[in-house]
Amino acid sequence: MPRFLKILVRNLLKGPATDPFPFQEAFTPDRLRGRVVLNPDLCLGCGICRHVCPGEAIRLEPDEGRTGYSFSIWHNTCALCGSCRHFCPTGAITLNADWHGAHPQTDKYRHAEHHFVPYLRCAGCGAPLRPLPPGIAARLYAHSPLDMTQVVKLCPDCRLTATAKREGERYGTTANPG
Amino acid sequence: MSDLLTPCAQKSFTLPIGPLHVALEEPMYFKLDLDGERVRQVEITAGHVHRGMESLAAKRNFFQNVVLTERVCSLCSNSHPFTYCLAVENLAGIAVPPRGQYLRVLAEEIKRSASHLFNVGIMAHVIGYKSLFMHVMQVREIMQDIKETIFGNRMDLAANCIGGVTYDLDSTLLEFTADNLNRVAGHLAELIDIYRHDPMIKARTQGVGVVSPKDVAALGLVGPVARAAGAAMDVRRDSPYAAYGDLEFAVITEEGGDVHSRAMVRLREARESVGIVLQALGKLPGGERRARLSAIPAGEAVARTEAPRGELFYYLHADGSDVPLRLKWRVPSYLNWDALPVMMKDCAVADVTLIVNSIDPCVSCTER
Repeated sequence: MPRFLKILVRNLLKGPATDPFPFQEAFTPDRLRGRVVLNPDLCLGCGICRHVCPGEAIRLEPDEGRTGYSFSIWHNTCALCGSCRHFCPTGAITLNADWHGAHPQTDKYRHAEHHFVPYLRCAGCGAPLRPLPPGIAARLYAHSPLDMTQVVKLCPDCRLTATAKREGERYGTTANPG
Repeated sequence: MSDLLTPCAQKSFTLPIGPLHVALEEPMYFKLDLDGERVRQVEITAGHVHRGMESLAAKRNFFQNVVLTERVCSLCSNSHPFTYCLAVENLAGIAVPPRGQYLRVLAEEIKRSASHLFNVGIMAHVIGYKSLFMHVMQVREIMQDIKETIFGNRMDLAANCIGGVTYDLDSTLLEFTADNLNRVAGHLAELIDIYRHDPMIKARTQGVGVVSPKDVAALGLVGPVARAAGAAMDVRRDSPYAAYGDLEFAVITEEGGDVHSRAMVRLREARESVGIVLQALGKLPGGERRARLSAIPAGEAVARTEAPRGELFYYLHADGSDVPLRLKWRVPSYLNWDALPVMMKDCAVADVTLIVNSIDPCVSCTER
């Protein structure tokens, strides 16, 4: 007992160990997994976040007219595991340290984040095209002499045709069979 | 002495304890046959929190299961995804890079010391030593702050992913972790001294709930329960995984086999864990922290680790798709709760809660 009395006195002199929340901000480290946030400018629509989400809190689907896709994060279904952030290839999904998620029962269907990411139209054929964020395009075409600002406006089919045409022009005379 | 007992206390009767709030807030039901206030026979009824998680695991893909297994239990929430990832990596032949291995050890040992501190704290609470309980929980709070700062959550670290770890440490965090661990180490030395010598703790816990080395072998006990009875078994040393082969640590044993020895094993192990983390921080290799993923082929694989409560075993059966056919785990509490009837034989009713707590039962793991 005397051994512990020493600690007891020390703790008494130190004062309360708890944070005086809500009168003062509570201890919140930067990395705290508080809420999932999407940056739609970086979203590729690849859907890996939906694939790895254990609670199926992420919905991602094209609209009826295929003008774009909607992206929803349902915070009340989210387990805050951070898998979406971990697997997101572009860093579009982050978790912020805002843990103030308490809300009245009546607001439970509003406790979500909704985005609409419009499709581009292919410059060649007009087909709906998933946007490639400029940062990703710059990374993909970093070592290519091509003008990537034009390439990213084409759908995969038109890109194939354009490449074939370009390569054909380049090798047209030398690669003549016969 | 017996003539002082009231007639009621001399009678034999059956006393139900549980299913709620036996020691921790986890359901477990005991039917005790009493002779006066001595326990003669114990019958355990389990299955109150069966959630069908193994069945859920066979309906989710490999990535989702990392998170699902983390939700099996809160106190060993890192051991489950860790062992699961090891099983998947064994099956797919994925080699985790050294930095990933070290970071995995770091997460596991931080969780282990927090888990052990929680259990010895609850022991103080059960014997009515509330001020010590508060103090131990406050020491554990330092570990909680470390977890929250590095991983972003106090319990579910989300540290493991198939092929390595999801998190990384920079120099600021390394320093922060080392500083706080040194603080914990100081507190632990003090706590070990108190638990070892405090007359109140000794009077209440020594010679209570004894298991002999023979019982350990007969019942297949694992973890701190086995080590407190002198059985030096530890998966980390017996079949090293992750970076445990490169790190120096002692397998802590005590000889008493009673509630007191089990608390001492846990406290000393918590100190050993702090030492392991400090070593791992010092030796942390550079490079990648996770491997590139490869396809997960059809086949079977197992993995085992030393969870805070003892050996944790995972079995995985995959068919080449991204959803496992079967995922099964055997948790240490399943083996250890079989020791309860042995420990409670002829104990006083007042010691039942103390004995239940001393095996550090994880009911949510066991019944999943």
